[in-house]
Amino acid sequence: MRDATHEDFVIRWAKFVRDNPDKWRKIHTEFINSQFKMNEDFLKRLSKEKDGKEKIIKLYNIKNVSGYKKLLK
Amino acid sequence: MDRLIYNINVLSNFCRKFCKIIDKYTEYIIVSGFVAIASGRVRGTEDIDMIIKPLDKEHFIRLHNALAKNGFVAVQSDDPIELYSYLKEKTSIRYTLKDKPVPEMEVKFAKDDLDYYQIKTKIKIPLTNVDVWFGSINMNIAFKEELLKSPKDIEDSKHLRIVYSEFVDESEIRKIKEMIRRYRL
Repeated sequence: MRDATHEDFVIRWAKFVRDNPDKWRKIHTEFINSQFKMNEDFLKRLSKEKDGKEKIIKLYNIKNVSGYKKLLK
Repeated sequence: MDRLIYNINVLSNFCRKFCKIIDKYTEYIIVSGFVAIASGRVRGTEDIDMIIKPLDKEHFIRLHNALAKNGFVAVQSDDPIELYSYLKEKTSIRYTLKDKPVPEMEVKFAKDDLDYYQIKTKIKIPLTNVDVWFGSINMNIAFKEELLKSPKDIEDSKHLRIVYSEFVDESEIRKIKEMIRRYRL
């Protein structure tokens, strides 16, 4: 555990999920989707920077570059 | 419309689509972090871990081609023979959607009795709203507490213990932990 406050949050949230089966999913889905949207937007910006494509290849250890042609063009 | 948007997340969709294809070729289970995340844990991840029953080369090539036809690419290579050699060497292979480096599915062959036990005791978890096969709750708790042990894993375990308190079986968890010590430590 990182600290007591964080542990409290983990427990409180788990109880919220357990006790509110109709409420947690909206909050959770927005959180997950926003992470991937931020990642996608960032990679698009990074790919346009100097050495950006090489950084993406390194970040994700991409060996099969042909599978990511659009992103790395 | 709201219901449609809020009930779907990128990670679950990716997982569902991938598992639907795998299911036609072999048995599989989803384990570790995604079990907690699909069960409501709020944390980030880039990958989903999958264990599959080993296939022979010919069947793996068919599986790989089906994945490719459905928009998935392997990060390591496009060559299914090369990918198969990784699996045989107990190295995981990673698939993503074409042109999207995340999320990724990390796939490995079952390698010992513990993996086969995980597959044998696989479950569906309706609360996740993701219709795929998961390693059991007790299994995931045992792995996180006995083998993985990072702060994130311990938090995942706490989350699973609370959300699925009715399924937590301490004697089963002890039995799995003993298997982990025998096979993995």
